[in-house]
Amino acid sequence: MEIAGTRLSNRPDMENTASPKVRFTVSALRPETITALLVLLATTLMMLIMKALNPTFGSLEQIAAILTTSIFLVVASYGQGLVILLGGIDLSIGVVMSIGGMIIAGLTNGSNQALVWAIPVTLLSCIAIGLVNGLGVAFLKVPPFIMTLAVATAAFGVALGLTAGSSQRTVAPALQQLMSARITGIPIPILLIGCSLIGGSLLQSRTAEGRKLYAIGSSVAAARIVGLPIEALTIGAYGMSGLCASVAGILLAGYSSGATLDMGDPYLMPSIAAVVIGGASVTGGKGNYLGTFAGAIFLSALSTIITVLSLSQGWRNIIQGGIIVVALTLQTKQWYLQKIANRPLTGQGSPNRALSQNSKV
Amino acid sequence: MVKRDVSSLTPILQATGVHKRYGATIALEDLSFSLYPGEVCGLLGENGAGKSTLVKILSGIVVPDAGEIALEGQAYQPHNIVDARTRGVSTAFQELSLIPTLSIAANLFLPKPKVNAIGLVTIRAIEELTETILKQHAVFDVSPSTLVGDLSLGLRQRIEIVRAMLREPRVLLLDEPTAAIADREWLFGLIESLLARGTAILYITHRLDEVRRLCKRCVVLRNGRKVLDAALEDMTDDQIFSKMAGRSVVETYPIRESNIDESAPPVLAAHKASAAGVNDVTFRLRRGEILGLAALEGQGQSSLFRVLAGLVPLKGGSIEVNGGPVRLRSPRSARAAGIILVPEERKTEGIFNDLSTAANISIPVINQAARFNFIRNRKERQMVERGASRVDLNSRYLWPNINALSGGNQQKTILARSLLANPKCLLLFDPTRGVDVGTKQIIYQVIRKFAREGGAAVFYSTELDELVHLCDRCLVMYRNAIVAEVRQEELTPHLLLSLAAGHKIDVHGTA
Amino acid sequence: MVMSMKQASREKGRPLASSLFAAILYVVMFVIYSINAPSAITLGGITDLLNNTIVLAIASAGLTLIILAAELDLSSVGVIAVSNVLVATVSTKMPAGTIGTLLLVCLVGLLVGLTNGWLVAFLGLQSLACTLGTMIMCQGIALVILDAPGGEVAAFIMNRLTDTVFGMIPVAGLILAVVVLAWLLFRRTRLGIAIYAVGTDAVASHLTGIDVKGTKLRVFALAGVAYGLAGYLLSAQTGTGDPRVSNSFLLYVFAAVAIGGTSLGGGRGGVIGSVIGAGILTVMQKLLFAVGVADFYTNIFSGLIMVVAILFGNLSAILTLHQRMPLTRHGDRGYSAQ
Repeated sequence: MEIAGTRLSNRPDMENTASPKVRFTVSALRPETITALLVLLATTLMMLIMKALNPTFGSLEQIAAILTTSIFLVVASYGQGLVILLGGIDLSIGVVMSIGGMIIAGLTNGSNQALVWAIPVTLLSCIAIGLVNGLGVAFLKVPPFIMTLAVATAAFGVALGLTAGSSQRTVAPALQQLMSARITGIPIPILLIGCSLIGGSLLQSRTAEGRKLYAIGSSVAAARIVGLPIEALTIGAYGMSGLCASVAGILLAGYSSGATLDMGDPYLMPSIAAVVIGGASVTGGKGNYLGTFAGAIFLSALSTIITVLSLSQGWRNIIQGGIIVVALTLQTKQWYLQKIANRPLTGQGSPNRALSQNSKV
Repeated sequence: MVKRDVSSLTPILQATGVHKRYGATIALEDLSFSLYPGEVCGLLGENGAGKSTLVKILSGIVVPDAGEIALEGQAYQPHNIVDARTRGVSTAFQELSLIPTLSIAANLFLPKPKVNAIGLVTIRAIEELTETILKQHAVFDVSPSTLVGDLSLGLRQRIEIVRAMLREPRVLLLDEPTAAIADREWLFGLIESLLARGTAILYITHRLDEVRRLCKRCVVLRNGRKVLDAALEDMTDDQIFSKMAGRSVVETYPIRESNIDESAPPVLAAHKASAAGVNDVTFRLRRGEILGLAALEGQGQSSLFRVLAGLVPLKGGSIEVNGGPVRLRSPRSARAAGIILVPEERKTEGIFNDLSTAANISIPVINQAARFNFIRNRKERQMVERGASRVDLNSRYLWPNINALSGGNQQKTILARSLLANPKCLLLFDPTRGVDVGTKQIIYQVIRKFAREGGAAVFYSTELDELVHLCDRCLVMYRNAIVAEVRQEELTPHLLLSLAAGHKIDVHGTA
Repeated sequence: MVMSMKQASREKGRPLASSLFAAILYVVMFVIYSINAPSAITLGGITDLLNNTIVLAIASAGLTLIILAAELDLSSVGVIAVSNVLVATVSTKMPAGTIGTLLLVCLVGLLVGLTNGWLVAFLGLQSLACTLGTMIMCQGIALVILDAPGGEVAAFIMNRLTDTVFGMIPVAGLILAVVVLAWLLFRRTRLGIAIYAVGTDAVASHLTGIDVKGTKLRVFALAGVAYGLAGYLLSAQTGTGDPRVSNSFLLYVFAAVAIGGTSLGGGRGGVIGSVIGAGILTVMQKLLFAVGVADFYTNIFSGLIMVVAILFGNLSAILTLHQRMPLTRHGDRGYSAQ
């Protein structure tokens, strides 16, 4: 076609300069995957160093224990990852985990029969909390960190009122067995982790709804014009986060054969850290579950090391907070490079800026 | 005032071999030019030709990759805007760098308004000073304490210009200074007085008549290169235009072969529609028709498009699709009615920055490629390739991330996406903005083909030529209302421009 | 296209309006409170109320600066915790304990603020996630300094700062007055003006030559100092150190800012509103306590009040937007016709 000829001759520069990037992204290893592999590599290295310093560390049993205890974070951070993918954040995960554990412990009270209805009730009530978050964010336009923090505070108040603060009943034995039994020598939690990794990845990266989440996180304005169901998917993502937190809470209750009102708290910040370490963008649109998974494993291993080194809770916090900041910094460097590469041709400012609010100084 | 040498032999500003690229796109390539004291030099070029980049380099916002700039014989490498200003280079920006929540006085003296002994900004003093300055620059009837956000666009632009002139610059950059100003003589008067002081002015504009009025010399950029640097009196308008566009203006539009279906009910019709920013709009769009929309900046065209796309609720009147009334509650319901918007802001409302080009194309219809909600790669690939071929988008651009693509290819992506949903009506808001010439051709062809095959389009463009050559009919908007309807036979850029500027001209068949 | 200038001096008092609303709300709440608890209108009652208000007021004043500059900061609870445990551990041991500790906690706040500011402004980290990280780190530091509630606050700090001067003016009231006065002066400084400019439109601010990064750095630093001070005053109230400041306090800080009419989008609002907002929240808590509502309901209530405060802010933003909609839209293109 004649026209194609005109175009090519008009812009030779585009043809040459775009190609290296093309090759990079087309290859099987997407940047997110590379991040995930790097994190797993870092985890291995960290373990090896510990092993070198302390030969008793790093037995097969210990590794199995690390993986087993990582399941709470692996599951909980999946929901957090979906919410962050949308550019939001869920600060209610810790409280929802506790509530999930409390409900399942309270309802089963040591009986396996009760599980049949106790599990659905637990899951549904926690999903309901997530849906409230989603409704507030989607329809009331409350900033996610405030909405989820407010809901968490309120839900904690309700739980406190109902339980009078002191509840540590026994969980159904089946749940405890689930967390300790093995199939062909492999602890069941590790198998569950594998399942959730595969299932979660498929759901996030291979489904139409997952694709839409990426699109919304990438640009809400464009998603609205394209007609994506933004509100429904936002509510869905927060609901999913509630679901994941409750599953994590049930498993945690099974593992520790009881529940307390603050048992989920230690998992809130790590769930955010896992997502950020995994290479997801806190502004949304980027990241996958493999990365989050790698981040969760990394944090669990680190947590075990901290325990082995018998560092206090304070140091644990300092390290965790520091990791979030470092992970963010590493990411921002990448984005920065990309931003330079993708600056628009004319660099025009946003034209609708001028129309704006006012107040007097 | 310092007395300056007004001889035009030694340039006040000289740029040699300036080079700037943003990732894949070259914004400026090997640009050399000079600016002499006491002259106004016109800088012309299409959108994306590199004018804004040049302004940003000269005013210290962007650092060039290569090249040298000398100001009055000394090396000039401003690190930031304050740096440039102290060296005597001042800029009135196209985007207007005013803060709406601050008063005019505060804005004029940013970033360092005068302070008293204890570091407080002396509001009364700067307001008095502002009063005098505004008077000197013939801006009347406005109090210095007014918040800039409360001013009309025209007044804001005046304040922006006054602020740039305030610092007695040796070089003044005016970037599209008349975009919102009706009274151009006001600006021309100020320019005269600056020239008398020996200031050199670089005047960036789209409007050739302004360049003819003010300048003796003009520089034309195209795709980042200087393609013309000549005295204006030697050039005809047509010569300059063809330099700007890299083509001769007349022969590039596809031949019009309208296929308007008069018998079918209108694809889209508005009856006395009003909403925020839209007043009493009535029109009918028939099958196979391309309905143009001409308007100056901010005359409600954007709001009208948003109403039709379901983004802004209708307050009064009605909208009909295929003869039946519809309520466009959201872009979703507009899509369901077959109306698809190609939005104004490609970067923020058009593309999904984090997705691949292919995913950008398939996203609205992704469910069609999915079974049990799982995406089938082959089906998606077929769909995307079908869409891409309709807009002549090379398939090797499909799999990389969309932000690796040029503006033109991004726009093609958005068109492919829009066509894939089988729309009945396309709302095209300035689809050729910031797009290279080759892509423009393809966009024209795509729109024509779409109409020929029974689609209908509402087409707004800032390029009047496009409206004249592409549309079957053209509406003109002024102050949020449709003020005229021009038939194809009568379409000329002059007529559209004067109607859009609010002049009352008797046109046959006014809506 | 030139518009008439009739709207020129239309709305001078707008930002005051939301503060005024908050003030009226405060008065109403206070009246209800004093009906339920008659001791509220005695000097002791007022001193008590102001003492309870001041920590939240100063923390939210710091956050207000950050939100005005269109950023977010969660680190307040972390800094307050560090500051609190520092006062509880060193104020009795240091020479010139009162002033020395005050300087120390301000310095700590400054350091944390500078770190935040540097990360956000110069490294370009998203402020919410980044300050979440520093918040956790600060909480960790607080735990390292003091791993369980305890310690001892110098008697002078405890007694003098919660008392009255000349037997009639509560010290807390004086401090609040100083904060308000400082704000009134501050917002007329170059930095004060720059904060509004940066929060309204960072791109335009950059084009006018404002040092956007430097402004943000300073804002975070100032806020850090305010948090440090808040922690100091908290110690004066409690007389002891507690490394765990509850997350619901963080909610209250944001709620106070939102109720006070500062837009979470930046560029609109001010410290006075936030101080009143802090007052409203404190009276509300006291009122709930006075009418005998159980503790856990307070949790539910604070969640609710936060959402309501934001909704209130959204609503006023929508109202202002509606007013402005008919204004012309600004684009950056012109016609290329002759």
